[in-house]
Amino acid sequence: MIRYLANKIPQVLVVLFVSSLIAAVLPRLTPGDPAVAIAGPDSSKETIETIRAQLGLDRPFHEQYLDWLGGLFRGDLGHSYLLNRPVGELIASRLESTVELALLAGLLMTVIGLVLGVLAGSPRSRWSRALLDLLTTFYLAVPGFLHGLLMILVLGISLVVLPVSGEVPLSQNPEIGIQYLIMPALALAFGPAAVVARLVQTAMVQVRGEEYIDLAVAKGVPATRITLRHVLRNSVGTAIVALGLRIGDLLAGAIVIEAIFARNGLGSLAVMAVNGHDYQVLQVIIVGAIFIAVVAQLLTEVILAMLDPRIRLGD
Amino acid sequence: MSHNPEGRSPLESESGPVHDPIEIPTIPVTATEITDVALVPAPVDDSGPEADDAAEEALDATSGSAQYRRLRLSPSLARYAGAFRTTKGRVGAIGLGTLLLLALVTPVLFPQGYDHQTNDSLRGPSGAAWLGTDELGRDLFVRSLYGLGTDLSLVFLAVPLSMAVGTFIGLSAAFSERLGVFMQRVLDIIIGFPTLILGICIVLILGTGWLSLFLAIAIAGLPSAGRLARGAWLEQQGREYVLAARTLGVSRWQLLVRHVLPNAADPILVQGAVYMVQAVFIEAALSIVGLGIQPPSPSLGALLNTGIRYLQRTPTYVVGPMVLMILLALSLSLVADALNQAVNKR
Repeated sequence: MIRYLANKIPQVLVVLFVSSLIAAVLPRLTPGDPAVAIAGPDSSKETIETIRAQLGLDRPFHEQYLDWLGGLFRGDLGHSYLLNRPVGELIASRLESTVELALLAGLLMTVIGLVLGVLAGSPRSRWSRALLDLLTTFYLAVPGFLHGLLMILVLGISLVVLPVSGEVPLSQNPEIGIQYLIMPALALAFGPAAVVARLVQTAMVQVRGEEYIDLAVAKGVPATRITLRHVLRNSVGTAIVALGLRIGDLLAGAIVIEAIFARNGLGSLAVMAVNGHDYQVLQVIIVGAIFIAVVAQLLTEVILAMLDPRIRLGD
Repeated sequence: MSHNPEGRSPLESESGPVHDPIEIPTIPVTATEITDVALVPAPVDDSGPEADDAAEEALDATSGSAQYRRLRLSPSLARYAGAFRTTKGRVGAIGLGTLLLLALVTPVLFPQGYDHQTNDSLRGPSGAAWLGTDELGRDLFVRSLYGLGTDLSLVFLAVPLSMAVGTFIGLSAAFSERLGVFMQRVLDIIIGFPTLILGICIVLILGTGWLSLFLAIAIAGLPSAGRLARGAWLEQQGREYVLAARTLGVSRWQLLVRHVLPNAADPILVQGAVYMVQAVFIEAALSIVGLGIQPPSPSLGALLNTGIRYLQRTPTYVVGPMVLMILLALSLSLVADALNQAVNKR
């Protein structure tokens, strides 16, 4: 394990370093100049130059980059040109919305995925099997934003049971907040849940063919116990990998879902920053998203190795 | 045992190089025989027309032309074609064909273009505008069809390019081991970027529009093709026939094209078909967020982007783009599924 980590962590660090470099270089290649944007269209050259100096944009790139990188480690994320506020503060104000969405979606993804997978992976009548198959295929084929739109059309506009746009933070009013949260979270969760369900189902069908299951049946172990103890436990490994690999997608998917449900999360902050050429905000969001995705992948592999003693990392 | 070891061994080692080329060619020849047919269908088809016409008439008299065509296809093409003989493949191909045709004839059917405004804004479906009108009184049916064209042009240009470049990157290890490893690291970095973040980075440099979407789709697809191609290279490079071909002085380039590529072609083709579905959704996601195709140009995602704002007033706004997107994604996944089954049937 330690050897594995010693081998893997430098790789992760390289990916993170390169992406931080990319995140810092990319915005500077854009045609728009933030100093001009701040100064306004009719301002004089001197004003623009003063603003450039204030922002530190007149210094060489590597100095700016190292400063920014050092700031990241000290917890100083930079300053937004556009809104004239610290980036850390901006992100903190949007964080709750996105974290609530991602957490509930992650929970729903796990529950729906496992339930559908176990149901589909157990012996069923022909009809319920066909129904389950249809359901997973539908979830799998339709992307999150279409689920969101369909739910808005059915639950929000035809039946008017849930609010279609906006949000109320759970910390302020959990009862109303959850009403705003449930549709976006479901929309975000269905796709990955279907992936999990498919993997669990396939693995369970495979495990069921093993001889030790036959033995358990012959021994008279109750069917439920066989499903949960013997089959499921040996089938969740692949599902965990899938879940870990989906976390980055979940965050990226949150951007689209936020746009559809008009939620003010990190996604809308990112889009605003792109449109306003707000480098500082974007750099942090890009690096943050990649950091979370990479760490999630690493953790997945470690957890998998801990669950299954047969896997030896590092060999 | 009867041989004198001292006198024999120099002779053997001397005759080795003479013997080997005679012995080994049987291996590469069989290998190339298979891959030749598999990989170079073009000359077979090219030589066809003139000679074939006569042959076809002769054959038509005896057996059906379908039988004849099946005989003429090279084995791998026949396998791919087999995908379209299953129900799945047929339905998918017909759906995709219909959508392509629809997108192609749209400019002919509606020459007034997608930006023709009227005074009737945000209306529901009517005889004049089958899917209603948008906020500027434009016919949503027409706009949806033009939007479909945008999506199809993206998918059918960006995905094949992405797969081709990805394959090339994956095979770069054949030219230099270091280059191969370096390219793998580059792909690792691309994988680290969630697709939407990658799209945002590209939009930052190039601004919004068709080209940015095209590049986002093309770049995000590189790692999958790259890995498949590299896998095929690593698997084949140690094989005896590859070593033999190398010994015989076959150039690296030919080695790749003749021996490695045919082994990588199947999974990459299937991956390409699967990725086409993803590409439709990448376009939609970026456009919905507001970083894709910009109004007044339509794309399925861009129409959803504006449609969402008028959901309460005119829920029918999003129906056209939604239905077309689902049909497109469904047809593409059916084709991908059928191809996958056909390729793995062996």
